[in-house]
Amino acid sequence: MRSHPAAAVLMRISKSIILATGIALLWTLGGHAQQSQPPNQDQAASPNDIEGGQMFATSCGFCHQDGGRTTGKGPKLAGTTRDNDFLAERIRKGKPGAMPAFGNAFSESQIMAIVAYIRSLEE
Amino acid sequence: MAIRARYLTGCAALALAAVAVAPPAIAQQGSTVDPARLQAAEQTPNDWLTYRGGYKSYNYSALDQINTSNVKNLQVAWIHMPGRSTRGLQSTPLAADGVLYYSGSYSRVYALDGATGKMIWSYFPELDEELVSMQTHSPYNRGVALGDDKVFVGTVDGRLIALDMKTGKPAWDTRLIDSKKHTVGFTGAPLVVKDTVIIGSQGGEWTSRGPLFGVDMKTGKKKWEFFTVAGTEDAKATWGNESWRTGGGGAWMPGGYDPETDTIWWGTANPAPLYDWSGADWQKSGPRPGTNLYTTSVIALDPDNGKLKFHHQELPHDAWDFDSAVGEFVMIDRDGRKLVVHPNKGGFVFVYDRTNGKVQNVWRLVKNINFVKDIDPKTGELIGRRDLSLGKADSPLCPAIPGGISWNSGSYSPKTRLWYKIGQEWCQEIEVVKTTPITEPMAQLNIGANFKLVPPPDGPARGHLSARDPVTGDKKWEVTYSEPPLASILATGGNLVFVPDARGVLHAYNAETGEELWSHNNGVGHNGGIISYSAGGKQYIAVPAGWGGMVADEYPPLFGEPYKSMPKDAGALIVFTLKQ
Repeated sequence: MRSHPAAAVLMRISKSIILATGIALLWTLGGHAQQSQPPNQDQAASPNDIEGGQMFATSCGFCHQDGGRTTGKGPKLAGTTRDNDFLAERIRKGKPGAMPAFGNAFSESQIMAIVAYIRSLEE
Repeated sequence: MAIRARYLTGCAALALAAVAVAPPAIAQQGSTVDPARLQAAEQTPNDWLTYRGGYKSYNYSALDQINTSNVKNLQVAWIHMPGRSTRGLQSTPLAADGVLYYSGSYSRVYALDGATGKMIWSYFPELDEELVSMQTHSPYNRGVALGDDKVFVGTVDGRLIALDMKTGKPAWDTRLIDSKKHTVGFTGAPLVVKDTVIIGSQGGEWTSRGPLFGVDMKTGKKKWEFFTVAGTEDAKATWGNESWRTGGGGAWMPGGYDPETDTIWWGTANPAPLYDWSGADWQKSGPRPGTNLYTTSVIALDPDNGKLKFHHQELPHDAWDFDSAVGEFVMIDRDGRKLVVHPNKGGFVFVYDRTNGKVQNVWRLVKNINFVKDIDPKTGELIGRRDLSLGKADSPLCPAIPGGISWNSGSYSPKTRLWYKIGQEWCQEIEVVKTTPITEPMAQLNIGANFKLVPPPDGPARGHLSARDPVTGDKKWEVTYSEPPLASILATGGNLVFVPDARGVLHAYNAETGEELWSHNNGVGHNGGIISYSAGGKQYIAVPAGWGGMVADEYPPLFGEPYKSMPKDAGALIVFTLKQ
């Protein structure tokens, strides 16, 4: 299965710093500021930081196959019922013995861009 | 479990008559594990002194107390449970003077009485647990090395540690890699050559330069470091746009040593990103323009100073993650020629002249290969490369990312003159994606694609054990498995071949015919190395059981149960001997 056209549009939009910033803002406004604070949270975003699809193919697709559309070493992510908080926290902290913690490696903008990419996947 | 399809030629049966009696075991009780003893490891089958049983990579035991006529009487002698076997038990034990040494996840090391399993000592290093939690290829450990009456073990946080062989007390602890920056460390076993401990770092898809280290065995002081990415000025020129800075490489499995030429042979890992969007223009464009030396190569080094003697790059500009990191270098003398046989992850087997690294033959272990049309058996040149471009490939790439050949060892029997080796048949759908290396604040994986494993065109995904002439590739017999076994293979002087399979069943086959003679269910998949040794006059077979490596993680979606529910945090060392 490939991405839905609307999702593809979202993907393209997610390349912009504006959207990444917007997601970050919504995240905070949504009452998620109590989440653990990674040390590099304030790292400035660059175009590479916020292309969720590219980030995914760099470091995540090794385990989450077909760009997260099917089960591989890691679970299928398309259509996940987990909420954004859960996904972001799992990216930050990982799962011992199964998934690395990326909270010290990725900026908050990058993590949110990856979450946005996961949300764009058609089940 | 096994889909049995055996092919036996008449020649194999005739060869039985020529099999010699295994050489007598030489008693070594209480003696020092020194360079001379390591060099003669193949002649002292009571012990298993190096990762592959000796410098020649035979992974073979000449012991014959357990043999084709009595293997049906094999039973469990003792079991050791190391605990905390996160991602399984992937190591290969060693044995010296009736004592068995082995490592588990988190580089925990154990010394056990080989006859009873009674604990002599254990050592649990304090690791940087926060770093471990950020690693992908972690926290498993694949083995230790012996020498100078010490046990050497690498750690995933970048250290090499020496332990006193009798007490387990640390003699030295040397940091070799800044793992907080490079994220990777050591998972493979070291190799001791004369007074040097040699260990290679992880790498591949990791954006560093994959160094190999030589360390003084007595002091722990680093003697030399060889970068598998741009290790020489000539090599640096094979990385356009200074891409060597994030090149990948690595040398994560121990290699072999040829005492006659005083040369270590080592296989190197792949460049990063794994996949490349430049297509046929890879010499000039893409993320790493050029051939990318010395990745996906075999390198021959001086063990004293790490200087490169010669090399052969098996896949110039590897664009498929079919690296040469398999450290198996089977050294065979035949018809006056000194040869070394090396399997490549892509499913081809290379045969080299041991004196100069020139290709003597290349043959296929695996059926489903389409990343090249062929490899020239005379020159090693790739014929008909399939260089991928940006976007989704129009047909699956074969083999899939776990390779046609995985990292665990086959076994060569000097008795049957056959090499027993596992092959893997599977492919993957792939979409190549442009990526940018991530190096700050710490290195991250750089894959460059999305992919999905699928069955090959000729049938279901599967594995096979074949018995072959290691130089020509001629096949004598084959056994097919519904899922590829991922553990090492052991051939013995008792004319047996032991195969620990993925489901947890340990099989014993007749080495001449492939007939299954015995099996035992160890309860969880095997992902480590099997050995044989002798203690108190009895022969033992020791096999680690414990599932959870990177390739093993692909099994649940491909094969379903029992892998969906197989634990990936359980492990046990299970030791067998004959009933009294």
